[in-house]
Amino acid sequence: MGDMKVNLQSEKSEQEERIEKIKPAERLNWETPKLEDVSEQVMAQPYIRFT
Amino acid sequence: MIRSPKVNRVDGLRAPLFVSWQITRDCDLCCLHCCTDSAPGKRLPDELGAEEAMRIVGEIVRNEVPYVMLCGGEPLVVPHFFRIAEALGAAGVQLKIETNGQRLDTAIAERLARLPVRSIQVSLDGDSQEVYGRQRPGGSLAKAHAACRAVRAAGLPLEITFAPTRLNIHEAGAVIHRAAALGAFRFNTGQLMRIGTAARLWDRLEPTAEEYREFRDLLEREALNLGGQMEFCYSPFTLGEALRAGLDEPPATLLVLPNGWVKVAAALPAVCADLRRESLADAWMAYRGAWRDEAVRESIRGAIGDELKHADANNWRRLVVSEVRA
Repeated sequence: MGDMKVNLQSEKSEQEERIEKIKPAERLNWETPKLEDVSEQVMAQPYIRFT
Repeated sequence: MIRSPKVNRVDGLRAPLFVSWQITRDCDLCCLHCCTDSAPGKRLPDELGAEEAMRIVGEIVRNEVPYVMLCGGEPLVVPHFFRIAEALGAAGVQLKIETNGQRLDTAIAERLARLPVRSIQVSLDGDSQEVYGRQRPGGSLAKAHAACRAVRAAGLPLEITFAPTRLNIHEAGAVIHRAAALGAFRFNTGQLMRIGTAARLWDRLEPTAEEYREFRDLLEREALNLGGQMEFCYSPFTLGEALRAGLDEPPATLLVLPNGWVKVAAALPAVCADLRRESLADAWMAYRGAWRDEAVRESIRGAIGDELKHADANNWRRLVVSEVRA
């Protein structure tokens, strides 16, 4: 594996820049995580099964 | 750096659905197949202290994360384990606890039963002391069984995990029936992950292709026989399959390491945030961004096709989303 560089903040995608411009009030529209959405698929990830 | 324009479901969530929190690398066993390199005395010098852990608890609660798994290492060796678990539980956060069962007695089970615990997951990697003790040196199968009984007696849901290796795969059927007899609601297994101690001992541990084929046949048969009584969870069977699914839809989960770092994926060394210095909300944003990052996605594609790359997963490297090939 080669050298790993660059940090996430160093360059921003258009989407991230757009998100940063979103007013905090609008961010409230983001969905609040709900227990009923924790599907079997979420819990079936191998590292959750084996950790 | 190139970012994928794809918008994932996680991009619409303001916090993760699930946090898998490895609260220590210390453990009271030194299992040959351990994917976290945990063992007695392996506590990391920079692990989060009690007050730092409690600050993260506060962030989890404020961000309304509904479900948290406490694991390790062995979480019950951590002196502030109950501070964490009880603070989360008091706030209504659902809990899953992963343990080897060596310390989980009736008193601990009854204390946990006061919390909103959805699962206690106990590892049973053999059905005879000889096999169990070979894969889990220092471990007592009788204690693990007693822990399972204490969990059920306290009214807690029990899950059993079986990590197949060349040492124990011949006892898989017996463990399945033991799990059912102990009242487990789920039996977890899959392909051995080539991470951590397991990666170093791979030549001794990796089951043969024939053993895996028979193992999968066994799982399919027993899922039919016992499926009404106990769930069988073994798909995706490999880490590679899980990574491939993640490329389509990243898991809405954060994997938090004992020092507060946050991983992009279990099979990769890349770390996208540090909860000592960043908020959980920022860590979540970084995680979402990492899964859109084309260099990260390329390294995931590489790990799908080459499980040898998983062996590097515990050499954590802080962010790191653009990989410069040598």
